[in-house]
Amino acid sequence: MVMSRIQKIPVVEEKKGNPLARVFDDLVRFCRSRSLFILHYCTGCGAIELPPAMTSRFDMERLGIQPMVSPRQADILLITGYVSIKTLKRVILTYEQMGSPKYVVGICSCTVNGGMYWQSYATAKKLDEYMPVDLYIAGCMPRPEAVISGLQKLMDRIKSGEADSWQDYYQNYDYYLGNQQKLFGEDWQTPTDIITEAKHYELMGEGTLGEHTRLLEQHQNPLEALEMRLGHNIKEPIE
Amino acid sequence: MTQEVTHWLDNLLKEIEGIEVRRKSSRRVRVDVPADALPALLELLQGRAGYIHLSAISCVDWIDDDEFELVYHVWSYENHSLVSAHIRIAREPGVYLSVYDLYQPAGFFERDIHEMYGIQFEGSPNMEKFILTEWDGPPPMRKEFDSEAYINEHLSWQEYNPEWLQELVAEGGGVIIPPEEQRFSQKKK
Ligand code: SF4
Repeated sequence: MVMSRIQKIPVVEEKKGNPLARVFDDLVRFCRSRSLFILHYCTGCGAIELPPAMTSRFDMERLGIQPMVSPRQADILLITGYVSIKTLKRVILTYEQMGSPKYVVGICSCTVNGGMYWQSYATAKKLDEYMPVDLYIAGCMPRPEAVISGLQKLMDRIKSGEADSWQDYYQNYDYYLGNQQKLFGEDWQTPTDIITEAKHYELMGEGTLGEHTRLLEQHQNPLEALEMRLGHNIKEPIE
Repeated sequence: MTQEVTHWLDNLLKEIEGIEVRRKSSRRVRVDVPADALPALLELLQGRAGYIHLSAISCVDWIDDDEFELVYHVWSYENHSLVSAHIRIAREPGVYLSVYDLYQPAGFFERDIHEMYGIQFEGSPNMEKFILTEWDGPPPMRKEFDSEAYINEHLSWQEYNPEWLQELVAEGGGVIIPPEEQRFSQKKK
């Protein structure tokens, strides 16, 4: 069972010009849809359906879908089940670090409405309040066939250019940030500066800035480059 | 052999005052003791009967009785049997003794119970946050903690029967269960 919820994003009229530009875009989208890397990050019990989906029995690789270990190189963030509030923070950090275009797939009923944890204080109920979700695959837990058919649907959407909800995160950042602040407290800040990124990619929308981003700016610590450090303390001489 | 051991154990347990022993099966004994007799009981079980493994401490909040129930499950590898020692302590102030000096794993169980129920264990080595490290609300397993109210304040419910679900139902998928049949709080009303 597959369902999707994408907010309608105003489409910018493309400049008329080189007729081959369209063809080239189509080609890029086709290639993109045939080479997808799933971030290896498993949140809930639904993750147990992924090993059979990835390995020889159902073999996702024949569709060009492979696991990937680092967020920077991954295309798909697969949320495989309930996200506890502690996990949700990490999921958001991970999502923000992924390079665009990126797609979020919510597997399991828990990502849709909390599933059997609907009454729990510790799990998030609606994943799409905190990040734009391209596709939900409901079920407790969905079988590998359902996962693969969902990912095929995602591939179709990428090919046709419909799967563009990652832009929604930039264009409606205020909405997502507001929900995050409601849950994590007003001093919530991630190490990624979404507003600057939105300006850089020219993805500023009407909803990018608002009361919540103003709140963020009030207490935002300037971001600094991370210190490079090896596993041991360098100051101590190595024996 | 087992028969002998059970008799011997039953006799041993009689040494504690105010104890109530209920034998559930040849390998399971439930004992209820007054709270102040528990350390002596555990010492006896560990020292003289080989119950060296504390498998868990569980906690139940009996809010109507104004009491917490603590259950110490100890296992013996020699007798192959489990003794569950039940005690009740007052909900307020909710303080009890740590059994860390008898069973070291108790440190973890006590820390967990402290975090979930707010019970203080005197003499436990560490009463800091254990799993709920980013939680600053009240101890969530206490019965007076209202999970639904917390959700209403911090999270939001998925819409009931949203539009995209109707599309799915039209396609032949999706199951509808009305919230009245699902939410306990709404059933009562
Ligand atoms: S929907 Fe079911 S299988 Fe999936 S995370 Fe929730 S409880 Fe686990």
